[in-house]
Amino acid sequence: MSDLAAVEVGTELPVIAQQSSLMTSVMYAGASGDMNPLHYDQSIAAQISPSGGIIAHGMYSMGLVSRALTEWAGGPEHVTEVTVRFTKPWPLGTTTTFGGTVSEVTGDEIVVALWATNENGDPVLKGTGRVRR
Amino acid sequence: MPLNRDKIGTEYAPYRYEVSREKIREYATALGESDERYFSNHDCVAPPTFAACFTVIKGGTAAMSDPDLGAHMALVHGSQSFSYDGDPLKPGDVLVCTPRIADIHYRGSNEFLTVEVDCRHEASGDRAVLSSATIVFLGSAPQPQEESA
Repeated sequence: MSDLAAVEVGTELPVIAQQSSLMTSVMYAGASGDMNPLHYDQSIAAQISPSGGIIAHGMYSMGLVSRALTEWAGGPEHVTEVTVRFTKPWPLGTTTTFGGTVSEVTGDEIVVALWATNENGDPVLKGTGRVRR
Repeated sequence: MPLNRDKIGTEYAPYRYEVSREKIREYATALGESDERYFSNHDCVAPPTFAACFTVIKGGTAAMSDPDLGAHMALVHGSQSFSYDGDPLKPGDVLVCTPRIADIHYRGSNEFLTVEVDCRHEASGDRAVLSSATIVFLGSAPQPQEESA
């Protein structure tokens, strides 16, 4: 948790690095109710995944970037919006890094540009978080 | 076949969702959360994206199972948003969730279907969370001759 009163444009959020695995994928599927086999069944992924391998749920990546935002903001009562656009699949076994940069501070509202990048530095998602102090 | 743009504005049957402590715990565990309140028996609250558990699949299915929409299986989840008007969700909250097709548009060869799910507290009618999902349908955008017809 940071001191939101001292936040200014350009402030960087602490990052979260997460490796995806069959375990993270199955746990997210069960918790969220998104049972699309693309996220845990190799025989299905071989047919429909862009890479031919299993990919993590996009919503799992959103959950993690939201976790980075919410931990920084001091809890969910400070978060009024999380919006993301998914830009690249996240293959199982690879690590994605989640973070954010404060882009705007107006009165009680802080706008954070959210990002996640894969091991090559390519964006997995981009988004916006809104935080109230 | 392009999606049926006459469907913009269509609402689907509301469904009820009751937020429970154990579901919040399970969701927070899956995300590796460490905020103790997500696991608390006293002051439990839910992470902002907990709303995924009852909006993304249910809302998308409500719209895409409409035979008049013309949905097809060449699709990806393009973007997602959750916005909150008030407090975080907590155990015991009973929500009434109404899916609605907010928009259909296209860019290049792809179509973009936006499904909103308006989740309100059953007791007060106040909005708890608004989910907005954009599903990208690959390759089905109207061709120029269809557009002018």
